[in-house]
Amino acid sequence: MSLYETDRKDERLAELREKFGRHPVDPPDRFHQGGSQRDRQPRFCGLESGHRACQGCGEALAARLVMECAGPDVMVANATGCLEVFTTPWPQTAWQVPWIHSLFENSAAVASGMEAAMKAKGRNTKILAFGGDGGTYDIGFQALSGMLERYHNILYVCYDNEAYMNTGIQRSSSTPHAASTTTSPAGPERMGKRHLKKDLLSIIAAHHIPYSASASVAFPADLQRKVRYAMGIEGPTFLVVHSPCPLGWKHDSHLTIEVARRAADCGLFPIVEMERGALSNVMPIRKVRPVRDYLELQGRFGHLMDPDDPRAVEELTHLQALADYNISHFNLRGEGEDPADTAGIAHVARDRSAGER
Amino acid sequence: MVVINRGAHAEPGTSLLFKTGNWRSTECPSHVHTKAPCHAACPAGEDQQAWFAWLQEGHVELAWRELVRANPLPAVTGRVCPHPCEAACNRNAIDAPLAIHNVERWLGDEAIAKGWAYPVAPPAEDAPVVAIVGSGPGGLSAAYHCVRLGLRAEIFEALPEAGGLLRSAIPPTRLPRPALDAELNRLLALPGITINLRCKLGRDVTLDELGRSHDAVILAPGCQESKEWNVDGAVPTDLHEGLHLLREFMDHGEFPAAHHVAVHGGGNTAIDLCRMMKRHGVEQVTLITASALPGPDTDPADLINVVPRELEEALEEGIEIVEHATVKRLIMKGSRVTGVEIVSLKKLTGTDGRKHRVQFEGTERVVSVDMVIPCIGERVKADGLHSLLSRRHYLDATDPWGRTPQENVFAIGDARGDRGTVAEAIGDGRLAVEAVAAKLFGLPDPVRDDRGEMPAAGLNTVYFGPIERARVPKLPVADRTFEAEIEGDIGRLGALREATRCLSCGNCLACDNCWVMCPDNAVIKTAELASDGSHYLFDLDYCKGCGICANECPTGFIQMRTDTWQDSDQTV
Ligand SMILES: Cc1cc2nc3c(=O)[nH]c(=O)nc-3n(C[C@H](O)[C@H](O)[C@H](O)COP(=O)(O)OP(=O)(O)OC[C@H]3O[C@@H](n4cnc5c(N)ncnc54)[C@H](O)[C@@H]3O)c2cc1C
Ligand SMILES: Cc1ncc(C[n+]2csc(CCOP(=O)(O)OP(=O)(O)O)c2C)c(N)n1
Ligand code: SF4
Ligand code: SF4
Ligand code: SF4
Ligand SMILES: [Mg+2]
Repeated sequence: MSLYETDRKDERLAELREKFGRHPVDPPDRFHQGGSQRDRQPRFCGLESGHRACQGCGEALAARLVMECAGPDVMVANATGCLEVFTTPWPQTAWQVPWIHSLFENSAAVASGMEAAMKAKGRNTKILAFGGDGGTYDIGFQALSGMLERYHNILYVCYDNEAYMNTGIQRSSSTPHAASTTTSPAGPERMGKRHLKKDLLSIIAAHHIPYSASASVAFPADLQRKVRYAMGIEGPTFLVVHSPCPLGWKHDSHLTIEVARRAADCGLFPIVEMERGALSNVMPIRKVRPVRDYLELQGRFGHLMDPDDPRAVEELTHLQALADYNISHFNLRGEGEDPADTAGIAHVARDRSAGER
Repeated sequence: MVVINRGAHAEPGTSLLFKTGNWRSTECPSHVHTKAPCHAACPAGEDQQAWFAWLQEGHVELAWRELVRANPLPAVTGRVCPHPCEAACNRNAIDAPLAIHNVERWLGDEAIAKGWAYPVAPPAEDAPVVAIVGSGPGGLSAAYHCVRLGLRAEIFEALPEAGGLLRSAIPPTRLPRPALDAELNRLLALPGITINLRCKLGRDVTLDELGRSHDAVILAPGCQESKEWNVDGAVPTDLHEGLHLLREFMDHGEFPAAHHVAVHGGGNTAIDLCRMMKRHGVEQVTLITASALPGPDTDPADLINVVPRELEEALEEGIEIVEHATVKRLIMKGSRVTGVEIVSLKKLTGTDGRKHRVQFEGTERVVSVDMVIPCIGERVKADGLHSLLSRRHYLDATDPWGRTPQENVFAIGDARGDRGTVAEAIGDGRLAVEAVAAKLFGLPDPVRDDRGEMPAAGLNTVYFGPIERARVPKLPVADRTFEAEIEGDIGRLGALREATRCLSCGNCLACDNCWVMCPDNAVIKTAELASDGSHYLFDLDYCKGCGICANECPTGFIQMRTDTWQDSDQTV
């Protein structure tokens, strides 16, 4: 924000540009002058346009929503994965904050170092660590566990698109049961992934950290409330955001939010909060939908839609049982209507102050 | 060529250099302000969505001003209109339609109580003058719109008082005279409107004279002559025709004596008459109508043509209604009626492809009555209008603006023969004056608004919760008199609360969904109002065309359209 305001900084930047062989005036004027409509948006934009995510990418949306209320005084350590790749095609970056690309497996470790450095310098800048589900549920898990155990003041956000998307849709321990991926293909041998989705949140919560929660791009207000809450906590916090991937889940790009909404509404992706290992809050489901409503929008579950195939019927029933289990396990069936349930939280009304800001 | 060495870092936000907009392969989002179904259904042309929007923002007077851009008589229509807007309201798909007529009435009453001035300027002294024949809702609306569009209006009314059927026929239990007077008087007091009472076309003035003395003539004489009625040639000697009886009753408070009355017809006159007679003490009143009562499977074209709540109240009050039937034979003792033979019938499509009323043999039954009253409608009285009268005895207008074959002469309201409600008369008045004003001021002719209509399926109703429709108090049957208004007032709080139920069909409500949910940050929020009436722009330099914004827009204001953007169009 203030970085480019003074002449002194401009001079220093010009020097650096020359030294490193960059354009003398770059990035473009419209960005620096602050005069465009884009610059006058009434929100902090930590992740700018021009990134290379697919049409309708849930992960790109989730990361922007997180940055919006975490920034601007933050630094990010980002594991390898789609988010890292599509935001930073060298020599450009979509990030508006200091950002480090770690390895696939160690964003939590790199973030821990960044946090220690900030502490040593006496600065309050909050460190964020980002990773995909592969980088979090699987390969980055021990680094994450260490970060939580050492009690670093870091918010770790896992963008859960339920497979290794960046390398071509390989199954991860977050991939739901029966989903077809390139390494768990549905076919004569198997009906998609044989194993279950890992209950990562409970494992994280078992570290006895102050706060861990799940959220979804379908409920931005809830997601952002959770980010703000976590930002206010001194210590390790964790957020997993359900982020549909039109390419990997094989759904139309305009349905990203709809798919995420149905995931919550059927109970397959429970939206909950945990503090010190105990369940502290859930987003109640106003009207529980059958899992079929969620699955039928996605090609990765297409093999379950044949009512004449007994294997398909069995797996569909299995997924319904898993959803029912979540609903009773987390007590997701609210009592009556709640302004913060899956329907209420999304309700809109005319914004009386539109145009006055 | 940029040379970059290993120690360099990318500058914040430099991805903006890369225009992902050229990835859009299919369609691009655009703002489309379609018609809300209430607006499309409103014969008076009100945009209910627009005035509910003002109410949602708490601006009551602005809501009223928006309303009276089309309809100067909301305190009247709020009481008597059959509100097709409510039948069309998309909220039907969620719970129940908005109580549009109650809020409309409250706005009209509030404007009168607060003395808000109509948002019109006095026309110039030398502005063209339009002659208007008739001061029913059609004529009054025409006069108002003349002033609104900078013309002067001179009204010619045969009766000693203005108002047409609003005054002479609609019972005060539905339209209390103080409310009617208040709204008519302030309209007639507008600068630029003069009225000549007791001045009848065909007696005191002729059409030719008006054509010569005025810049245009708008005819709104309504229908004054009852259609002929007989049953196979038989007519009781003491035949009383429905509208005539009602008018007599309005003037003198008396009906001819009877114990058991059969009313034959199926419009507002019939229902009003039935209810008044019952209240006056007639033991049994039976309405015989060829139309259908409302039911889950009723074809709208077959539905009895009355204000829905009037029908409900009539049934509450014990009026018996025989649907899909007609009077086949009068049973007479001498020239006095003692009974009617009724037969079932239905409108069916015949071999010629047209609808015919088919009577079903074997369904005849006899009801004993001592009076039969036809209420089968009226037609135009020829006085002074011979040159324009059609074979069916109406003033055939050739288009929605009421143009007639005669240059500068327009026909509106009931007299057209294809109308029948106050709101239609009001809408006709506006349209005719728009055509007149365009012509007199040398502007292009007005054109039909062919914007599409927003269906319920075009909304994303996930974003709207259930809110119960306002319940308005009603006089219990036992307390109903000839004067007291039956339907109560929704009140300020009720009206403002009801407004929150509006879904803003087809128009942005500034919910921010598009701004929040675009993964590409390609929706820009603006402080200024954009030309499309919203506070949002699409930055097509970056929009990838995913369609999320269109899918998540609750109001259907965003639609995916064929992409016409080119790299050279880069804007923001
Ligand atoms: C009993 C009854 C109940 C009704 N209830 C409803 C209802 O609830 N809701 C609804 O929407 N509609 C209702 N209607 C219909 C509605 O009243 C009419 O559709 C509406 O009034 C038509 O308006 P208008 O201006 O075309 O004609 P009118 O209201 O008939 O006005 C015509 C005016 O022209 C004057 N006039 C006629 N000839 C001449 C002449 N030669 N020279 C000068 N002046 C002349 C007449 O005196 C009259 O004042 C009802 C009608 C009746 C009869
Ligand atoms: C140690 C290591 N193994 C494998 C890779 C290759 N690789 C890069 S990204 C990725 C998958 C990332 O999946 P996930 O963390 O779920 O993120 P997504 O792309 O789905 O957002 C893999 C396997 C790597 N970069 N490093
Ligand atoms: S919800 Fe509002 S805009 Fe939509 S039809 Fe009903 S009144 Fe009109
Ligand atoms: S959500 Fe964004 S990228 Fe997608 S169509 Fe709308 S403006 Fe374009
Ligand atoms: S999503 Fe909301 S803010 Fe965006 S255009 Fe639709 S109504 Fe307006
Ligand atoms: Mg992934």
